[in-house]
Amino acid sequence: MAGFDTPNPTAGIDAARFEVVKNALISAAEEMKIVLAKTAYSPLLKMAGDYSCGIFSATGDMVAQGPDLPIHLGSMPDAVRSVVQTFPEPVEGEVYIHNDPYHGGSHLPDVNVVMPAFYEGRLLGYGCVRAHWPDIGGGAPGSYSAVTEIYGEGLRMPPTRIYVDGKPDENIERFILANVRAPSERQGDLRAQVAANRRAVDRMGALAKKYGTDELLRIMDAILDYSEVMMRAALRGIPDGTARFVDTIDGDGIVEPGEAHDQTFKVALTLTKTGDEITLDFEGSDPRVKGPMNAPLTVTASGCFAALKWALDPKALIPPNSGAWRPVTVTAPKGCVVNAQEPAPVTYANHEMSARISDIVFRCLHDLAPGRTPAGSQGTGGVTIFGGQDYRNGNTYISYEVTKGGFGARPMMDGMNGVSTCIGNMLNTPVEIMEMSFPVRIEEYTLAADTGGAGKYRGGLGVRRIWRVLGADANCATCVERTMTPAFGLDGGREGACAEVTLVLPDGTRERKEGKGGFAAPKDSLLIFQVPGSGGYGRPAERDPEALRADLAAGYVTPEAAARDYPEAFEILNQAGA
Amino acid sequence: MAWRIGVDIGGTFTDVAMVEEETGRIGIAKVPTTPLDFAEGVLAGLAQGLERQGVGADAVTLLSHATTIVTNALLEKKGAPCAFVGTRGHRDVLELRRSVRIDLYDLEQDPPPVIIPRQNRFEITERVDAQGDVVTPLDESEIPALVAQIKASGAQTVAVSFLFSFLNPAHEQRVGALLREALPGVQIFLSSDVLPEIREFERASTTAVCAYVGPLLESYLTRLSSAVEGIGLPELHVMGSSGGVVDIAECLRMPAQAVESGPAAGVIAAALAGEQLGLDRVLSFDMGGTTAKASVIVDGEIQVTAEYEVGGTSNAKRWLNGSGHPIRVPVVDLAEVSSGGGSIAWVDLGGALKVGPHSAGSLPGPVAYGRGGDKPTVTDANVILGYLNPVSLLDGELKINREGAVRAMEAEVGAALGLSAHEAAQRVVQVVNANMTQALRIVSVERGLDPTEFTLMAFGGAGAIHAIFLAEELGMTSVVVPPAPGVFSALGLVTTNLKRDWSKTVYADLAGMTPQALQAEYTTMEADGLKMLEGAKVPEARRRLVRQADVRYRRQAYELTVNVPEGELNDAAMEAIATAFHEKHRQTYGHANEAEPIQLVNIRLSALGLLPSLRLSMDIDPAAARRETRPVWFPEAGEVDCPVIWRDGIAADAEFAGPAIVESLDATTVVPPGWTVKVDADGFLHARRA
Repeated sequence: MAGFDTPNPTAGIDAARFEVVKNALISAAEEMKIVLAKTAYSPLLKMAGDYSCGIFSATGDMVAQGPDLPIHLGSMPDAVRSVVQTFPEPVEGEVYIHNDPYHGGSHLPDVNVVMPAFYEGRLLGYGCVRAHWPDIGGGAPGSYSAVTEIYGEGLRMPPTRIYVDGKPDENIERFILANVRAPSERQGDLRAQVAANRRAVDRMGALAKKYGTDELLRIMDAILDYSEVMMRAALRGIPDGTARFVDTIDGDGIVEPGEAHDQTFKVALTLTKTGDEITLDFEGSDPRVKGPMNAPLTVTASGCFAALKWALDPKALIPPNSGAWRPVTVTAPKGCVVNAQEPAPVTYANHEMSARISDIVFRCLHDLAPGRTPAGSQGTGGVTIFGGQDYRNGNTYISYEVTKGGFGARPMMDGMNGVSTCIGNMLNTPVEIMEMSFPVRIEEYTLAADTGGAGKYRGGLGVRRIWRVLGADANCATCVERTMTPAFGLDGGREGACAEVTLVLPDGTRERKEGKGGFAAPKDSLLIFQVPGSGGYGRPAERDPEALRADLAAGYVTPEAAARDYPEAFEILNQAGA
Repeated sequence: MAWRIGVDIGGTFTDVAMVEEETGRIGIAKVPTTPLDFAEGVLAGLAQGLERQGVGADAVTLLSHATTIVTNALLEKKGAPCAFVGTRGHRDVLELRRSVRIDLYDLEQDPPPVIIPRQNRFEITERVDAQGDVVTPLDESEIPALVAQIKASGAQTVAVSFLFSFLNPAHEQRVGALLREALPGVQIFLSSDVLPEIREFERASTTAVCAYVGPLLESYLTRLSSAVEGIGLPELHVMGSSGGVVDIAECLRMPAQAVESGPAAGVIAAALAGEQLGLDRVLSFDMGGTTAKASVIVDGEIQVTAEYEVGGTSNAKRWLNGSGHPIRVPVVDLAEVSSGGGSIAWVDLGGALKVGPHSAGSLPGPVAYGRGGDKPTVTDANVILGYLNPVSLLDGELKINREGAVRAMEAEVGAALGLSAHEAAQRVVQVVNANMTQALRIVSVERGLDPTEFTLMAFGGAGAIHAIFLAEELGMTSVVVPPAPGVFSALGLVTTNLKRDWSKTVYADLAGMTPQALQAEYTTMEADGLKMLEGAKVPEARRRLVRQADVRYRRQAYELTVNVPEGELNDAAMEAIATAFHEKHRQTYGHANEAEPIQLVNIRLSALGLLPSLRLSMDIDPAAARRETRPVWFPEAGEVDCPVIWRDGIAADAEFAGPAIVESLDATTVVPPGWTVKVDADGFLHARRA
């Protein structure tokens, strides 16, 4: 089967041993994930899974990723590399912490904890756990403020040694915990991150003991080469050419004096594929924006990598690691909104920009190689945060939740309802856990009818979640994209529905909110948060009437929308029913 | 003479194991499974077993069986049409799930279809809050319209699951009563009856699974039990997934508990064998045609977990990925990997050798079986390397086509890797062994248990071929192959105690709870437990009640289960719960935080009706002694001329050194060089690293 003419990346390594060690490293990354989920304190980590675990080479290449978040694929290696640069001579028992978006981090709440692995005094590589802390300080609970500089976004930590000899450096830890809300919860999360890394270090050490350090390191290199070979083969499988797409992003969270709404801005991508390499150039994108929608290049690259992996490897056969990205080049002019420079604020961009960028990449690839990419998805992380004082016990609280919308319709299938975009895979937080933990009541959590774009294959549905604020006033922050620019359809498929954020005051007044920003939510007010549906694929006229019948029965599509969007199929059903 | 009979209805074969209570003598029978009417195969197997041992139906004191009907109903989507009633605003709880995608990158994935379609999911106005207080009263005026909708939907059963019903079940109970009155013949499952535990999706999903499989299970059990009673056998029992048998009434109350019936029986058998041999730490390893399963037994206790997805692909990793339907009932804690004798070997685009997850199954099966299979499997590799008899298996009934296996291995694997068929087969076995080692690691190392302190107990059709290689991989020095390993799971059924579990979410700080309050909770459950045991006519001396609790640090989201002391609870008992939790946390995760408040999440009670204990034993027939040699390959020794010994003829206390192959009717054991085997008086093979 291996009928290609590139050198075999596993040459010289026993075929069985290669597979065994590769799987053992992936399994170690999975174990890290389990340890973190089971020991962390904040619901965001323990219930919703907003973190990634990986095994890295001594130079910071990602060798194995756990079943985590695709968004971290591209930027975690940069985070480990910057630790390697800062501490070129790591010592056993040390642990480093780091969240600086301008040195390989993603946004300040994503805290990287990195631990070197040794065997008989030789460095094998690193474990790294990137976990989203529900708060990292800054102006608002949850650290999601619409500020104009990174300095306002919270505590920024360059690579810093936080453990020596296996013990925490209390000076550093005190300093960190003094700058974040709910510090004892943060300390529990940090301990969990270290525990997960210990698992990685133990596993790597055991492999070195068993196979010898030289052999382990050789296999780790071969694993990277193997993914590279697979990715190059996948790239050869699509036609050469260039495609360009310019998309509109729905604001940065800052409404300037004199403006009625948050202003949109542009991201432009030119994608060029030649042979077994691909270049993604963002020349022509708007300059940095005032609010936190600026993406460091590493975040931009993460969105690109995730989309390429989906489109080029639809059966998910290529191990996701740094080797897979060697044939991929991502460039953008310095200082533009997708190659942010200090001190531009970045918090929202981490998930919003990378989600929108993945759709832009899909759109370009569709022009180049149709039939491999989904239509536009929700394009957002769909974040809602409440903060304040719990009337039941007087404690300060910060909630952080994500609500998932539509995943784009696919060339041969409908879109998916209420799941993450291609860059993420977080879980929701159970309603009962939310209400036990925070003074809110979730009055509705349902699929929103008619939000999936019409098409031969219907777009995935958006979701509506409604909270009532209980007992005392709260601060609320939301971060959602596609409030104005809907998810695109492909091949004649229609657009999905946009997001809507509405605050209903206790007296019944309805206030339409911007997608991004913070506001006071008084006691007994309702927040209605509806995340976008996705685009459809193919012309609605080609929709199978039986598929429409099923959608009508389930209430995914209302009869009014069916008559409007699918007149042909609807007519056939009516005749059959008459 | 009193005999117990266990029947394990598997995908291919229905296994029957019989044990005589006084002597522990074992009888076995193996017949094809009859999927159109399982009773047919069961009756054939029972007839064969009874006849072979010369036993009459009136000599049978216990009949237990393991079934895959619940799992299959979900996999094949054959359950009953049902309806769901939820709190207003939350009818999509079953569909939104935890909003997770099954795979990170697969473009063609879809979540499993919801077992209750959206048009059959209804809402009613009511709300209980996080403190258990009613904030919106139940609006009973909506009931007539709801009844009309359920009638129109054609549902045979209804699952009712309201928010916070585990704290206050009043609304669910009222709706249940009203629906039962209005819908005679429609079975109503309430989440507060099925699973009074926090997490609305998991609770609703468990309730929905019960509603979905309930009617099918009922007709199956009714038919089967009347068939066996028709030939004069005692009341039929069903193996539950938590490792105890239940009677038919209990099984129908909570159908989800029959989900991992067969695999649980294997673990029970391993526990019994471990006890008989005086082993306090056993790793059980069960390898069949499509999967391999591992579990641990410490001090005779099997381990159970409450995190399980039925019909999914996730249970290998013990990581729920949304590919199946979660049920939160206790299930024997198994790690399962898609590696079996039928797993297909292949080489991917990047030149890496893979084994599985695709399986040739029983049809077409391995190439060597000559039933049309053309893809090389693990069994083919085992034939090529000499582990399996290259001429025939099953006492001559299954002819082996070794040439075909060699050709397929050469073409599909060898050519791509530049290896001969023999070299390729070596690597296939190494890769599949590594995959199965992962399953053993998940249940041991990942739980903080050191496998080198355990004995590996190997069974299933293929378990004993690979077991010693796995033991070497894990640094283990002791492996036991029990008598009749090929029907060992059926043997587990006759040794399983009657068992039923209760649980309740209490969600309280341990320090803030008085021993009296906790005692009151257990007293209520214990009254239910005793009632069940009396109803099942378990004599007083054989009744046992076991208290446990799911505990965690207050700010964690996952619990560890610890034992709760017996007797009237006092301050010392409360302290013992805390100590046990810190210790278990340290053992599992490497650290404990004794300053952190501990939260009691669920309390659990198991009511057990103990069976008189058994001693397993296999007859030895010196006349059957046979010995030959054939070329067999071993990793370090290469190909050697290896003795092949017929198991039935090995005398008690016999001892021999590897390399050796031990063959019997139902299984083959491979003993590599460096290991010695001792046979005990009951026919167990004890292999030790020399």
